Amino acid sequence: MSLKELSSLEKALGLKKPNKYSTQGDRKVPVLQSINGPALVGLVTIATHLVQEAKQPELLGGSAEHKAVVQQWLEYRVTKVDGCHKEDIKTILKDLNSYLEDKVYLAGNQFTLADTLMYYGIHHVIVDLAVQEKEKYMNMTRWFDHVQHYPGVRHHLPPVVVLRNRVYTSGHH
Amino acid sequence: MALNLTINSSNPPLGVLLAAEHVKGSVNLSVDEGKDNKLRVSESVQFSDVNSITRYLARVTPTLSLYGSNMLEQTEVDHWMEFSTRRVCGQSGLATALGELDMALALRTFLVGHSLTLADLCVWAALKGSNDWQSIQKQAGAFSHVARWFSFLGSQVPFTAVGNKYANSKA
Repeated sequence: MSLKELSSLEKALGLKKPNKYSTQGDRKVPVLQSINGPALVGLVTIATHLVQEAKQPELLGGSAEHKAVVQQWLEYRVTKVDGCHKEDIKTILKDLNSYLEDKVYLAGNQFTLADTLMYYGIHHVIVDLAVQEKEKYMNMTRWFDHVQHYPGVRHHLPPVVVLRNRVYTSGHH
Repeated sequence: MALNLTINSSNPPLGVLLAAEHVKGSVNLSVDEGKDNKLRVSESVQFSDVNSITRYLARVTPTLSLYGSNMLEQTEVDHWMEFSTRRVCGQSGLATALGELDMALALRTFLVGHSLTLADLCVWAALKGSNDWQSIQKQAGAFSHVARWFSFLGSQVPFTAVGNKYANSKA
């Protein structure tokens, strides 16, 4: 799955020449053998490298604080979201939902690599959510819908239908 | 085609200035300060109403999609422009209007579609100029979706540019 993600990311970044990746071990960790340097291992490492190659460093955050927040969510993606058990997914959705209440993007008001990779990583969960659940986690849903429509982000993934008006209004606020 | 916009410098129309800032790369538009708001298109065609001016600016720059990208979105934009003049700038009932706005923004990043439109510009400008909203904003947790949307737009470049230049002169 992460190989598809990396090739989508290449397109999203506007990189013309696709790289060839291999995988390592049981968990299929992606590996990029670069031409003039050592091999790069791991999704976040390779993704960060691609962002730099595309000369879009702003996607890794502007200020020192922003950079740290971006790294935090990239780490969250590979440690918490990937390989997460079915029972724990609700906790992740709840976390994201309350975190995103006052934010448009994961790092605040700017779109970053964290949004792209979190979107790719959580897509398989959102696809299966019922309409009512999507409304229950509405801040997360709003963020998800915004990112899937962000220019150039959605490549290998099918669009998820999201209602744009609330239907279960009597519930929690 | 050269457009000439005159704005009332003692009470600058923020919505018009935001629209002007957005379209300035796509159309030849000059901005002067004067006594009244007026967009001069030609000798015989002029607009003086704030919503008419922003609508015209959006229509002559179709590539920016400030008026939405289809008929449904266009109607939604019209709805919010009406909302901004009648309900937000209106004398009473701001709390009811904010409740509706909050509900609409719960599942949306922008008011209409997935990008910025006149709806965002006009409602944002009306709120920015509202003293009631300034005080409501200070209460924690009140209309959280409106607050998020308001500060998100306020942090974007055209908004900060217009805010720095004109918002202070009004206060």
